[in-house]
Amino acid sequence: MRLTQAHRRLLEAGTNAQRTSLRILETVARISEAERLVPIASAHVSGASYKLIGDAGLDFLEDFARDAKVAVPTTVNPLGTDLAQWRDLGVPPEFAEKQGRIARAYVAMGVQPIFSCTPYLLGVRPKFGDHLAWAESNAVCFANSVLGARSNRESGPSALAAAVVGATPDYGLHTDRARLPTVVVTADTKPRGIDYSLIGLVAGEQVGDGLPFFRGFRGNETDLKWLGAALASSGSCAMFHLEGVTPETRKVRVRGLKSLRITRADLTAAKRAHTDGTEAEMIGLGSPQLSAEELKEVARKVERRPPRIPVWVFTSRIVRDANPEAVAALERNGGRVLADTCLEVTLLEHRFGTVATPSGKGAYYLPSLCKQKVIFDDLDRLLERYA
Amino acid sequence: MKIRGRGIVPGHAAGTAIVSHAPFSFVGGVDPRTGEVLDQATETMRPRLQGRIFAFPSGKGSTVGSYLIYGLAKAGNGPAGIVNARTEAIVAVGATLAGIPLVDRVDVGGLRTGDRMTVDGDRGTVELPDVQATPVVSVILRNRARILIVRRSEDVGSFRGRWSAVSGYLEGREDPKHRATQEVREETGLRGLTFRATGAPILARDNARMYVVHPFLFDAPNRQVRLDWENVEHRWIRPEELDRFDTVPRLSEVVATVLGRASDAAG
Repeated sequence: MRLTQAHRRLLEAGTNAQRTSLRILETVARISEAERLVPIASAHVSGASYKLIGDAGLDFLEDFARDAKVAVPTTVNPLGTDLAQWRDLGVPPEFAEKQGRIARAYVAMGVQPIFSCTPYLLGVRPKFGDHLAWAESNAVCFANSVLGARSNRESGPSALAAAVVGATPDYGLHTDRARLPTVVVTADTKPRGIDYSLIGLVAGEQVGDGLPFFRGFRGNETDLKWLGAALASSGSCAMFHLEGVTPETRKVRVRGLKSLRITRADLTAAKRAHTDGTEAEMIGLGSPQLSAEELKEVARKVERRPPRIPVWVFTSRIVRDANPEAVAALERNGGRVLADTCLEVTLLEHRFGTVATPSGKGAYYLPSLCKQKVIFDDLDRLLERYA
Repeated sequence: MKIRGRGIVPGHAAGTAIVSHAPFSFVGGVDPRTGEVLDQATETMRPRLQGRIFAFPSGKGSTVGSYLIYGLAKAGNGPAGIVNARTEAIVAVGATLAGIPLVDRVDVGGLRTGDRMTVDGDRGTVELPDVQATPVVSVILRNRARILIVRRSEDVGSFRGRWSAVSGYLEGREDPKHRATQEVREETGLRGLTFRATGAPILARDNARMYVVHPFLFDAPNRQVRLDWENVEHRWIRPEELDRFDTVPRLSEVVATVLGRASDAAG
């Protein structure tokens, strides 16, 4: 790989963290046969929940934070609990203490204290054509597909290295060729609500690491957030196109590509396949974190029809702080609004055995990451059932 | 012998090998406090990685694996070097953080736990001082979806009585493809072959000898085989029947490699 003079200087005379970071980028470049680094507009790092990264991750981050400073705007994934509410949640003190140290290590590196899986909703919104080093699969999928920015699915350490250097290896979805679709997926279903998650889950299983070109339906940004999150969970997709909606579909040619059809029956079957619980102990709304509009809508629905099991909403600190009425409404009705954390990375399993959720990503990961049973259904249906 | 791979993490290491023949996850696969291998795929029970060369086909599992490799090395419990067939970011980034030399594109199927080896991450080579390389060709002949296997006679120098593909030693700087067609002519009398595929060499181990097997696939115009002294019996079989026969080592990998290559080229 060719390094610029500035990067060579980093490798020779940089801080420990800068040299380590460049070596990580060189390693990734060797594996992927990238010939150069491309400057990035922002980074988003995964690996912040103590539940997932454990002592090994904490140890590395504290070592690395000794002299690491990020060179571009950088956000980081949700933590393993809400550090403002952990006592009320019954989180063990040792867990909260270590989780706090992880958060402080990131902040010491200059990372913005936005612990979110939806950085694209929180003021670091990439522009069309921006190169990024993002690590959260749903965020990568949204940035590539809906915004037309360019990011591979980075790992936690590779995104962190890119943040320190301000560049990432130029291969994969940074190049035009890799952004072309590999398969046409038609879904003539007029999707609403949970259907976007279902289409994502079904398509992801079918296309694996392919790049789907969807047609037959439309959706707004929120719809596509849920579709992309599910698609990136059941498949290793980092991008999709939706005909007439996403920004890079016009240049695309689909003639001769393999084509798949998703029917209403496929969606119903997927919903059933991801439901293994019988009675839910809570309704979990997140994965990805809810936007301000989604939070307010949930609050309205809960006020109208108070549920008999707790509703926990996962969102960002920014959204929580800006919507005290919605937070109060949920709390009045036995629920909680947790910030800086999210459904499947938070510590839930010590309290709940079965979780109901309308999130495709949540339904996909809860059984493995949290050893939980899942009831996967539309929010309105769940609120009706648990009224 | 020296194996040429691809250097991923620079540096040099020497040690005896721990070999796993299945994809490996550091999360759950290694005790993070001691560096003991918990995964059952390694050949010896719970060996410690410390100071060893750890060879496995590829990494799998969560990216936390990168941090675990770092933690092992920091505590002095990490491997001295890593050898992979196809490395990926989890292991390679972990090895980078830990400063562990890593070479990939090495067929770990030919390596054994206990082999002494040196890893050169700068040049991308792995050297086994106690093992002698013997380059050979192995030719899969195909006719209407069946492949030819032959049973080696009691008069040949190795693998007597075992089932094999048409094969032969490569001498000096001989072109492997030329040797392959020669062997087919000598051992079967078949002519009018069509070349279909070749692939990266496969390492087949026989104690201190390593056969570096250059695989080939040719289509044969008919099934009229005339054996010479080297083989005593022949069969045209479906590829999936291969595991019913007592074969020379790694014949199924040779078959899978060239048939896979051929279908890639056709698709």
